[in-house]
Amino acid sequence: MEEEHRVTDLIKELVLRLLSQNPQNPSSSIDTQKSLRYAIRILSSLMTPSIAPDSAAIAESIKRQLATQGKSSQALAFADLYTKFASKNGPGSIENKWAVLYLLKVISEDRKNQKSRSDSRVSSGFSASVGLPALFDAESGGYSGVSRNRETLEKGWNNGVLLVSKDPENIREIAVREFANLVKEENEVSEEVLVRDVLYACQGIDGKYVKFDKSVDGYLLRDSIKVPRATRITVQKLCELGWLFRKVKGYISESMDRFPAEDVGTVGQAFCAALQDELSHYYKLLAVLEAQSMNPIPLVSETANSGTYLSLRRLSVWFAEPMVKMRLMAVLVDKCRVLRGGAMAGAIHLHAQHGDPLVHEFMRQLLCRVCSPLFEMVRSWVLEGELEDIFAEFFVLGQPVKAESLWREGYRLHAGMLPSFISQSLAQRILRTGKSINFLRVCCEDRGWADAATEAAAAAGTTTRRGGLGYGETDALESLVIEAAKRIDKHLLDVMYKQYKFKEHCLAIKRYLLLGQGDFVQYLMDIVGPELSEPANTISSFKLAGLLESAIRSSNAQYDDRDILDRLRVKMMPHGTGDRGWDVFSLEYDARVPLNTVFTESVMARYLRIFNFLWKLRRVEHALIGAWKTMKPNCITSNSFIKLQSAVKLQLLSTLRRCQVLWDEMNHFVSNLQYYIMFEVLEVSWSNFSNEMEAAKDLDDLLAAHDKYLNSIVEKSLLGERSQNLYKTLFVLFDLILRFRSHVDRLYEGIHELQSRTMESLSPSRDKTRSRRLLNDKTAEPGAWISDGRKALTQRAGEFLRNMGQDLDAIAKEYSSLLEGFISQLPVQQHIDLKFLLFRLDFTEFYCQLHPNM
Amino acid sequence: MPREIITLQVGQCGNQIGMEFWKQLCLEHGISKEGILEDFATQGGDRKDVFFYQADDQHYIPRALLIDLEPRVINGIQNSEYRNLYNHENIFVSDHGGGAGNNWASGYHQGKGVEEDIMDMIDREADGSDSLEGFVLCHSIAGGTGSGMGSYLLETLNDRYSKKLVQTYSVFPNQMETSDVVVQPYNSLLTLKRLTLNADCVVVLDNTALNRIAVERLHLSNPTFAQTNSLVSTVMSASTTTLRYPGYMNNDLVGLLASLIPTPRCHFLMTGYTPLTVERQANVIRKTTVLDVMRRLLQTKNIMVSSYARTKEASQAKYISILNIIQGEVDPTQVHESLQRIRERKLVNFIEWGPASIQVALSRKSPYVQTAHRVSGLMLASHTSIRHLFSKCLSQYEKLRKKQAFLDNYRKFPMFADNDLSEFDESRDIIESLVDEYKACESPDYIKWGMEDPDHILTGEGNASGAVDPKLAV
Repeated sequence: MEEEHRVTDLIKELVLRLLSQNPQNPSSSIDTQKSLRYAIRILSSLMTPSIAPDSAAIAESIKRQLATQGKSSQALAFADLYTKFASKNGPGSIENKWAVLYLLKVISEDRKNQKSRSDSRVSSGFSASVGLPALFDAESGGYSGVSRNRETLEKGWNNGVLLVSKDPENIREIAVREFANLVKEENEVSEEVLVRDVLYACQGIDGKYVKFDKSVDGYLLRDSIKVPRATRITVQKLCELGWLFRKVKGYISESMDRFPAEDVGTVGQAFCAALQDELSHYYKLLAVLEAQSMNPIPLVSETANSGTYLSLRRLSVWFAEPMVKMRLMAVLVDKCRVLRGGAMAGAIHLHAQHGDPLVHEFMRQLLCRVCSPLFEMVRSWVLEGELEDIFAEFFVLGQPVKAESLWREGYRLHAGMLPSFISQSLAQRILRTGKSINFLRVCCEDRGWADAATEAAAAAGTTTRRGGLGYGETDALESLVIEAAKRIDKHLLDVMYKQYKFKEHCLAIKRYLLLGQGDFVQYLMDIVGPELSEPANTISSFKLAGLLESAIRSSNAQYDDRDILDRLRVKMMPHGTGDRGWDVFSLEYDARVPLNTVFTESVMARYLRIFNFLWKLRRVEHALIGAWKTMKPNCITSNSFIKLQSAVKLQLLSTLRRCQVLWDEMNHFVSNLQYYIMFEVLEVSWSNFSNEMEAAKDLDDLLAAHDKYLNSIVEKSLLGERSQNLYKTLFVLFDLILRFRSHVDRLYEGIHELQSRTMESLSPSRDKTRSRRLLNDKTAEPGAWISDGRKALTQRAGEFLRNMGQDLDAIAKEYSSLLEGFISQLPVQQHIDLKFLLFRLDFTEFYCQLHPNM
Repeated sequence: MPREIITLQVGQCGNQIGMEFWKQLCLEHGISKEGILEDFATQGGDRKDVFFYQADDQHYIPRALLIDLEPRVINGIQNSEYRNLYNHENIFVSDHGGGAGNNWASGYHQGKGVEEDIMDMIDREADGSDSLEGFVLCHSIAGGTGSGMGSYLLETLNDRYSKKLVQTYSVFPNQMETSDVVVQPYNSLLTLKRLTLNADCVVVLDNTALNRIAVERLHLSNPTFAQTNSLVSTVMSASTTTLRYPGYMNNDLVGLLASLIPTPRCHFLMTGYTPLTVERQANVIRKTTVLDVMRRLLQTKNIMVSSYARTKEASQAKYISILNIIQGEVDPTQVHESLQRIRERKLVNFIEWGPASIQVALSRKSPYVQTAHRVSGLMLASHTSIRHLFSKCLSQYEKLRKKQAFLDNYRKFPMFADNDLSEFDESRDIIESLVDEYKACESPDYIKWGMEDPDHILTGEGNASGAVDPKLAV
């Protein structure tokens, strides 16, 4: 209370003195009162100068100001005075020493302002903050009063300077101070403030001076703040960390916000979590630094001005490591912004290939976290066949398909999601293993794979539990995958072979669709033959199915597995007008799940083509054998022709011989084609296929082996693209042979008729004279040939044989030109095995010599 | 529809080799001596119903007729351990049991007499089949029953079952030894005529060659009939393997024979078999690959028909057709390699008037018969050198005929009554023309053979030349 009164009194006195000193304005009580109130209001206001309450700093500032004005002696004096002033402690001394100094400084500057009208914003700020002189407005009065006041001050300083300059021991200290002053003069903002600002900035918060500037996208010290270039640059450099931090932090929060509405994915989440972890380490560091920034450095010299512990330089040292990490993280964040899942892991992995052990270790840890969801997916896919991938991050893609195409189309690799640290072959293996499990589960209704998976996990040294694997354990992953693949594939093949009898079905297809079961094919040919000669639209497939069944029952096929026989069906292909049964008849084999994965529709369509070819070949063979049967050795006994005229006999002989030789040639062709088909095509392909089937390690191998098998049959049986011409020629040849067969039938029918007529004519007696007499009588029974007597008979026989002979010659000519064409095309075929066909057809080089130009 | 084949075994020799054949078939199909399927033989993948049928009690019964005019051999069979195998209704022994006395004419005549009985049996068997493929006749051409009665049966079958195949396994007599049957040249000639005209295929089993093989290849100093018969049964069973073990090709007799016999008249087949073993003989185990087997099959020493050809003639002899039936574990790729090798070495001479090749059929081996060798092979071939065998028969006949020896035995029978020996002459002509046809096959101009000189033929003087006889050449 008393203190307050004293202050009021003092102010009052001060006001009065200031006003009374003004000569132009005699004191008036009103003015006095007004000024006093104003002064009190200012003092009681909470306005504080924007500087730290540091008396030493202000003293330095004043000293430097004096020094820069060339008043070094005054400066020294001031320093001396200040030292004395500062050392005055205890009762009665001034408590707010800095305030006094500050006041003095302000006053001095104020005066200087009046003089120089400096443009400096800082100084005007100062004057504004002082405000007192301006209040008086009168440029004259306020001005003089203040200046006078300063003059008194300057006098005191002048005295001090003299004193200080005489003290040589103080020179070093003075120089330091001087330097500090210089620094301070340039730094209008002190270093610790900047340090704090930088620390703030590094947490993504705007500091007092260091603020985020959107236009340059970075933290900046405002241009207006006067700091040395070096400091500015250092600050900028340090603030890069803040910028990076912002980026990383921004990504994290963005991702978290997006989740789960937009698919960040589990890998993205893991990545964020890992980043977040890194950030919390970073926060700890910052907290430590911030705490340290408060502590001043204990100085050797008590008197030297003590900076705080953290300078910008120190900070840059501290920040070196976080900077590297943060930079990496920012780069990763940039890279990964649009990536998800495996692609993200792969992108991160690319950055992990770094020589710097620090970086490497950092990335390894990061990847460990990031990959763990991915590895978990691999694990559950490989061991359980589960595709736990709601965000489509896994490099295996599943799509809903029908059971038969599950293997081929159900799953595929998504190359974009395949991280580069998983090799293509490993990925394929992973894909196949899971696919195998799914195939087993869906198509084979098998449960046994679970045991195989457990076994595999045990063998690989991991468990079937979650989270057993991580990045960097690619070897472990690989061994797990290999073990799992090995066992699952083996199990799958076991199931295919044993439970679903894959081999038996292949063999069944070979036996029935590829006509390997000769006796069955023969009966079928025998009994459906007459039916198939009918027009296609009049044939009942129901009846054919019955015939098929009876062919099975009467051949050795009856001993086959009922399951296999039930799958064998008659298939009538769509027919056009004029088609005969032969053109549309075929057999099909119902593969069913899971075998229809191998025997897909397109595969069965190819089997169908092979069947049609072989069936036609068989039909032609059948026709030729039939022809042989009509002309078989004991069918014409010469006895009956003894009485024929020699010329006719000769004609008969010649016709038959030509017929036989032509038959021989055709038969040679057809049977050698069949031998070729059997040995070079079917058996060789089958034996290769069997070997590959034995060696097959997984279903893909099996599929490839089967494809190869089928391809080789198609190619070698002239069904390939490249042998289309040959194939056409072949079918023309076949048709010609069928025509030949009917011709043979007619020929022998005629001969048999001739034979019986001759016998008839001779029957009354074996005696030549008698029969001749009978014929000469022309009284023989009515009959086409015999009625006109022997001469007519001979004539008609001769005519018949001549006609038949001519037809035969025509066929022979057509045949040999077609065959020549066929054979001459063989050597130019791409497929080496077709040369075997030529070898067989021309084993004795008969054609070679016949057509030397071939 | 198993394409059944009915076997007729006629005469002493026919029944002996028939018996061996059935023994072998029973072994290969796992059928016991009583005709019961052994327990181990249920999964063979073989076809038993071509040669057997099942009685009501599931016994397997051979589709075989045992015919003889004297009871000795058939009694032997009926007293053997195989007595329950055959259908007793299918055994025919002449009532008087006197045999045919090694006389063709007697056998033929007696055959005519019992035609009805035998044809009843044949009809019964044929009716019992779904799709009868044909008949196989086992006989010898030298004796009386097999040759004479066999000839009669051939004519009858040809007449009654003209659509069915008739194959014969005909044993030709040993020409090296003086036979106890002095009239065998007559018998052979007369039988050969029927084999030429009424059979579709004749598998020639030459006792001379069989003996030679037994001596040279099997090192038996004095081979018994049983031993040579086991060779025959081996050949017979091997030649039917493709019928009994169905595969891709050659599953029926007609398919098998058609390719072998392109020209109807030349339907006499030679056989070869390797590696040969007889029972109780420790045989050297040889390397058996497909090439080895095929190469050995082409060697004359392994062929079961003697070649009486002189060197020059032999070099002109040609194969009309060859079928190798390879049994055992064979890699199909070896077949092609073997064929290539054989062609490179020019091991085979084929006819020049048409394309030809070695056909190879792979067949399974019976799982119930253990053999020392992995692979065995049978060759069925039509070879023109067989004409020398017929020439030999002809020349022996001529010798005997010139002397007018032993003709009285024949004149007792209706065919030769009134001293009508035209049957002999006709047979001779037919065999001669057969020889000519085989000879013609050796030339590239076979197609034109028999038509070179139409005028000559028209004058009817062709017979003198011996080369062309159009009336027989049909």
